[in-house]
Amino acid sequence: MTTFDAADPAAQATQSALAGVARFVGRGKTFWRLLSSGGVLLLFTLGIYRFWLTTDIRRYLWSNTELAGDSFEYSGTAYELLLGFLIALAALLPLYVVFFLLTLAPGNTWSLLSLLVLIFLGQYAVYRARRYRLTRTIYRGVRFHQTGSALLYSVCAVLWWALIILSAGLAYPFAQSQLEHFKMRHTFFGNLPGRFEGSGWHLLLRGLPLWACTVVPFAIGTVAVILAIDWSALSTSSEPAVHTVGIERGGPAGIDLIVAVTGAWLLASFALLYPIFQAILLRWWVSGLRFGNVAVKSRLRIARVFGVYAQFFGYATLFTAVVGTLVGVGAFGLSKIAGGVSSMRGEIVTTVLSLGAYAAIALGYWTIYQATVKLGVWRCVIESLEISNSAVLEQVAAAGEAASPVGEGLADALNMGGI
Amino acid sequence: MNAPNVDSSNVHGRAIFFDGLTTARHDVVIELAPRTLRVHGADGRALAEWPYDELETRSSPDDVLRLGRARDAVLARLEITDPQLAAAIDEQSAPVDRTGRIERRLRRKVIFWSCAATASLILVAVVGMPLIATELAPLVPYAVERKLGAAIDAQTRVGLDEGNRSGAPLDCGSAEKEQAGRVAFEKLIRQLETAAGLPLPIKATIVRKPEANAITLPGGHIYVFQGLVGEARMPDELAGIIAHEFGHVAHRDGTRTIMQGAGVALMFGMLLGDFVGGGAVVVAAKTLLRTSYSRDVEAAADGYAVVLMTKIGGDPRALAAILSRIGGNTHAGPKILADHPEIRDRVIAIEAMASSAPRRPLLDQREWAALKAICAEE
Repeated sequence: MTTFDAADPAAQATQSALAGVARFVGRGKTFWRLLSSGGVLLLFTLGIYRFWLTTDIRRYLWSNTELAGDSFEYSGTAYELLLGFLIALAALLPLYVVFFLLTLAPGNTWSLLSLLVLIFLGQYAVYRARRYRLTRTIYRGVRFHQTGSALLYSVCAVLWWALIILSAGLAYPFAQSQLEHFKMRHTFFGNLPGRFEGSGWHLLLRGLPLWACTVVPFAIGTVAVILAIDWSALSTSSEPAVHTVGIERGGPAGIDLIVAVTGAWLLASFALLYPIFQAILLRWWVSGLRFGNVAVKSRLRIARVFGVYAQFFGYATLFTAVVGTLVGVGAFGLSKIAGGVSSMRGEIVTTVLSLGAYAAIALGYWTIYQATVKLGVWRCVIESLEISNSAVLEQVAAAGEAASPVGEGLADALNMGGI
Repeated sequence: MNAPNVDSSNVHGRAIFFDGLTTARHDVVIELAPRTLRVHGADGRALAEWPYDELETRSSPDDVLRLGRARDAVLARLEITDPQLAAAIDEQSAPVDRTGRIERRLRRKVIFWSCAATASLILVAVVGMPLIATELAPLVPYAVERKLGAAIDAQTRVGLDEGNRSGAPLDCGSAEKEQAGRVAFEKLIRQLETAAGLPLPIKATIVRKPEANAITLPGGHIYVFQGLVGEARMPDELAGIIAHEFGHVAHRDGTRTIMQGAGVALMFGMLLGDFVGGGAVVVAAKTLLRTSYSRDVEAAADGYAVVLMTKIGGDPRALAAILSRIGGNTHAGPKILADHPEIRDRVIAIEAMASSAPRRPLLDQREWAALKAICAEE
């Protein structure tokens, strides 16, 4: 007889202490290894490997996320993603051919229409992909699921995005709140219905200073440029006889200066404010999530998100320095070799090598971004959670079925990828 | 608390069980019976009995072995934290993959075959696509080619007009003082067109671009750059280049390039997905593929030009002369140096093909002078 008696009373005591606590237990090194080998394979398979890499990443993130002592499980497989992609391909390919033929027809109406159809499809895919991911998320032997019409969601989403553009971004908080309401109203954990309680006004108040720092200077700069252009001169100069008249009232330096200052300000403020924006948005979003009586609150600190981005910046700088040196040396060596060879062949070799180098560098930055920002933000958010009434999570009954991966495939084919 | 009803001759140990019906967490004793894994509740009740060959490893944190039952609609889960107990189960059950060895073997197969598929795709793109496009391009009706050409023409004109700050229109020959030049240019084109007898009308224009270049789009659009007119020392040189472009129209090279580009874009664009800036790679790949077969295409157009020039009584060798002078840089894409072997080969080939048939001037002195001044600046 052999007995493995590992579970002792002390372990059970920690179990109850963990109620309401969320933890991320994954090691960063595992994730780095996963991403870097995945990146190399993506390069050599021209992206076919992405179904496996995506699945690996999700498995890692899900199963290392612990809530009240139990970890999540991602039960999706790479084969499902591949299948979804193939279905999407079958559906989209004829559509692309139709769009191509339509662009040959006179007028811009048709190409505009096809763009609109693609935007709708993108939002449709986002909703269906969320459904797939939720039904592959298992916690304590019970899965999440999502109901609701993806078509209705895509219509709402497109209308809201149109409103966001028309309102210069001021509608964004309300769009986020309404769309999240829609998603969470149709989200269930087992038989426990979800809902969203974040208010658009609240997000607007938090985000208004950021909006004032970016959109307002942009608007002022644009108006200044418009005023600086002498429109009457411009309209006469379009007649062929008079085309030497200056079109700028303030001289050529005036407009360039306004554009440069506005651009520099936007760039600097974007780099500095984006982490703040992300922190505010995530804290607001997480704190609005509800499942039955279970409420979530996030105490995500902006400084931590800044830390994550600083890490990204550090690694990216290091990578840039190394790659810059390598490319410099490589280009020098290549010019030595290719200089002597028949140049058509040399040109092809150079183009192939630079294509490969481009893809490798892009994948390098992608890997660094995933391993620092994606993982870092995920970890920060999980560790900032406070869950109340988590006892409810022990009495949830199973419900819902596994959904098809078509949404994932569509999202992939339309370049609308999520996690 | 009753002791679980465990046959003590079997290996057993503690685990956590979720029955898949509710989220209730059961502290259980599992028993490794000869053919099955038995799960006993704390009250001694048997909660589940799973055959070893139906066990399945599910994704879990590193220090937990999470088991489920294969093909079971109910998501019952068994979580084992004790490494020795986990090892004991792994030993009993073939499908349990505690160390990930089975998964790794499967993954190696996936990697091998996706690399093989990629290599095969690249081969098709490099070798197969040009062949397919060559076969299909002659089958495209001219009506379709003209529509395609009109769409591409609109985009190309915008591209050509970029950086044109003088305010003058893109096309030369529209102003009053440029009329004479335009008449001469049209005379030259008409001679070529009559002799060529192409199934679609040619729309040739001289545009205000300083480069010594000429481009041909599908649907018979030919753009001759101002820089080329400046470089030409006699009408036959300009006519030679234009006759070469006529060759591209006759061989439907524009349509073929477009078809090839579309095929490659379709093949790789969707495959690449959103991990890399896929679009940039596709564009670069298209450029690469275009340059890699352009040699034969150019030679064919040269041959056409020699025949056409002979037909209208021009000097076919003039094409060779201007080519060797401007370095063959008549086409967009990577710049090719003047002493390039390809250009030398082309020049030699043209010289060899050219016969010494009777000649006549294509334009008189006055017409040629007017044509040279077609892009008259203020």
